[in-house]
Amino acid sequence: MFNLEEIKQLISLIDESDIQEFEISKDGEKIHLRKPGKVETVVMQTETTIPSMPEIKNPIQVQPQLNTEQASVNIEGQAVQSQQQDANTHVITSPMVGTFYTAPSPNSPDYVSVGDKVSENTVVCIVEAMKLMNEIEAETKGEVLEILVENGQLVEYGQPLFSIKLS
Amino acid sequence: MNLQQQLIQILQDHESDYVSGEQLSQHLQCSRTAIWKHIQKLKQGGYEIEAVHRLGYRLLSSPATLDEDWIANNIKTTWMGKRLLYYKEVESTQDIAKNVLQQSEKQSSAENGTVIIAETQTKGRGRMGRHWHSPLGKGLWFSIILKPDLPLQQVPQLTLLVSVALCRTLRKFGLDAGIKWPNDIHIAGKKVSGILLESSADDQRVHYTIAGIGIAVNLEKDDYPTSLHPIAVSMKMAAEQTFEREEVLCTFLCELEAIYSIYMEQGFAPIKTLWETLTISLHKPITINTPQEVIHGTAIGIDDYGAMKVEVEDGEGKRSIRTIFSGDVNFQADGSECR
Repeated sequence: MFNLEEIKQLISLIDESDIQEFEISKDGEKIHLRKPGKVETVVMQTETTIPSMPEIKNPIQVQPQLNTEQASVNIEGQAVQSQQQDANTHVITSPMVGTFYTAPSPNSPDYVSVGDKVSENTVVCIVEAMKLMNEIEAETKGEVLEILVENGQLVEYGQPLFSIKLS
Repeated sequence: MNLQQQLIQILQDHESDYVSGEQLSQHLQCSRTAIWKHIQKLKQGGYEIEAVHRLGYRLLSSPATLDEDWIANNIKTTWMGKRLLYYKEVESTQDIAKNVLQQSEKQSSAENGTVIIAETQTKGRGRMGRHWHSPLGKGLWFSIILKPDLPLQQVPQLTLLVSVALCRTLRKFGLDAGIKWPNDIHIAGKKVSGILLESSADDQRVHYTIAGIGIAVNLEKDDYPTSLHPIAVSMKMAAEQTFEREEVLCTFLCELEAIYSIYMEQGFAPIKTLWETLTISLHKPITINTPQEVIHGTAIGIDDYGAMKVEVEDGEGKRSIRTIFSGDVNFQADGSECR
């Protein structure tokens, strides 16, 4: 399967070239890159989940202003999963790119665990970027069904973090 | 009044004489050893107390208190710091700021630019819940409430913006200060100031942003725990002179207001340029400790979000660029640590 470095190199090569659209297959995995006019998205089709890319570089870019559905295209595996959840489930997504933390400090207990009840103002995690610690609230009432990312992991804009069973 | 406050009261009442340990222990009904321990605590708290064998204790000076009137009369900003809440001792000014915001939510009053400042913090905090040392009367320990109308993706840029304002302030006071990514201020390889921003937001809107700032103004070596000696420095230690904290604060708030308005009008590009001219982090070997890995490389710049671009080399000599959003940055321990 493509590793992260290969994908990054592909992106920068296409980036520097005049190629508008590009597709490559390897071991049943396909990467499709496109530069259509102003709004560019990176589309990956793969059976496995590729780690999200930290690189944000023009002109191939994950646009922050895209809506959640579009922005999560680059992590299609998870996005599809979240869209298939039934109507009783709410998915909390990351409002920014950064590092995901389950607790305020390494020695503190986690904000929430699977099975915990949450309400609108319950803080569920922190996402940090450049020493901005952003607390994320559940925004809904229910029970934590699943924690979809690991402590310390880099998360993308729009990436699903928690699934909440609505009460 | 607790015992230490009573002790200070007695010493203040006898300003020109010595008060013996015997007298103090009788008056306060505790042992002379206990008195000695409380005196040590008071000294740590910024009181200068002389102890002379057979004579006793005498108060030489009390810790400095911030002159709120001077600030109100001399601050040259239009909104930043116009409302200033001053406390003697708090757990953390960040927590007070959160309370202020909760209160103001009920009253729907505008709080943008409100400054919460304390002479000392008992639970001052840095990144990842680390303790921030804030001894009484020696530094500027404060929080600023900011309510920028920005998409959350851009809010991390504010941490770099604050560091630019702070670094420029220290340079105005003649110090050779530089920014270590993302926002620590260093003088000759040691940290003089730290900045931490806390916010709350969902994907719809930013509820609030609180910038927590600590500036070691007049700390002396003895004011720091020994563990901090190799890594921390104050303005006073660096310049070998005492600074007026009120002046430092007013200059900083003025600088911050000016840079904040440039940012609101022109975006991050001018801030990025300013940051790059003030930084000490670029073009040298660094190590970044992230929660999941240790990255060795050379920082080559920051991107349009303020994230650091680091050139790394794999085992086969292939180079690539990594973008770093968070982590502890260390310069290589080969003597190049100081710039």
